[in-house]
Amino acid sequence: MICTFLRALQCTEKLHRSSGKRLFLPHLVLNKACLKTEPGLRWGLQERKKTVRPPCIVGVSQKTIWTQGQSPQRAKEDSSKQVSVHSSRRGEPVISTSQKVKEAGRDFTYLIVVLIGVSITGGLFYTIFKELFSSSSPNKIYGKALEKCRSHPEVLSVFGEPVKGYGEATRRGRRQHVSFIEYVKDGLKHMRVKFYIQGSEPGKQGTVHLEVKENPESGEYEFQYIFVELEPYPRRTIIIEDNRS
Amino acid sequence: MEEYAREPCPWRIVDDCGGAFTMGTIGGGIFQAIKGFRNSPVGVNHRLRGSLTAIKTRAPQLGGSFAVWGGLFSMIDCSMVQVRGKEDPWNSITSGALTGAILAARNGPVAMVGSAAVGGILLALIEGAGILLTRFASAQFPNGPQFAEDPSQLPATQLPSSPFGDYRQYQ
Repeated sequence: MICTFLRALQCTEKLHRSSGKRLFLPHLVLNKACLKTEPGLRWGLQERKKTVRPPCIVGVSQKTIWTQGQSPQRAKEDSSKQVSVHSSRRGEPVISTSQKVKEAGRDFTYLIVVLIGVSITGGLFYTIFKELFSSSSPNKIYGKALEKCRSHPEVLSVFGEPVKGYGEATRRGRRQHVSFIEYVKDGLKHMRVKFYIQGSEPGKQGTVHLEVKENPESGEYEFQYIFVELEPYPRRTIIIEDNRS
Repeated sequence: MEEYAREPCPWRIVDDCGGAFTMGTIGGGIFQAIKGFRNSPVGVNHRLRGSLTAIKTRAPQLGGSFAVWGGLFSMIDCSMVQVRGKEDPWNSITSGALTGAILAARNGPVAMVGSAAVGGILLALIEGAGILLTRFASAQFPNGPQFAEDPSQLPATQLPSSPFGDYRQYQ
């Protein structure tokens, strides 16, 4: 009891002394006499009540929390929070104009590169779609003509049952592309295609020539003629279709 | 027309497999040389040894995986040619998709579908590039004779004078 009274006396003394100053007096100095378990935090707390008054910052309010035991940390946190808020409120470091120009230039270059890549890829896709799906591509016409050849009895008798078709051979031995020429005659588009067929008869190879003409109303290509030319001598020609008029 | 009478197809598999292996080994060798060089301690001897080690370890791996891809692709392609009976760009695209699917078979069906899509798209792009290249290359040659006449092999209703064989532009 006397201990607490003594401490209260000393506390008021200190408060009088330290009013107005920003000091963190060690709160245990005057408390040596009393070995009670009174938390020294109380001392520190009461002192801090007077001393923790950071200079007023515009827009920042100071919060003092009066709770037991936690408040010094919270006061520290508050001060640190206040410090951090203070620094972030100062704004980001200014980006100089030259840096902005450089960054913009870099972004622009990247954008150009991306656009070039996208356009090349788009062009390739367009080409392959047109080749495979459009009905006016030489590939489609070759397919249709091959079907007609396969169903022709004379061709089958000469070549044998599974008739294969192929086009020109590239370097690596692939024969996927057929040879063709487009030309315009009388305002209509014509196309001539040439490919090869081979059957199960050994040694017999034929060249198929065909021409298609564009139908002006429907836009479709119609066969003008299809004929098969046999390679080895004597040259024998099998005419599959002849629509020339 | 081909000078040799034999079919390219079965032999094309070995061709493609070897070509892919070479591509993978050389490309991987260069790449691993640079990477090994950079990831070694300071000093030219260290760096050279590091890049040599990296090449010896990694380049054959890359070559092997390329060879597997190329060989499998070519096998499926030749099989499709045999089954369908005609050679088409479609064969390449489907072969690419199937190769991608088979090589991802360990990772389950969803991964197979994704890998198949990647393989198919890759092959479609390659095919598109091939078509464009051949078209541009053939467009450089002067135009062939203007075919206004019908070919001589057909029963003559017009005068047959131009031989029909001179194709300059083909795909």
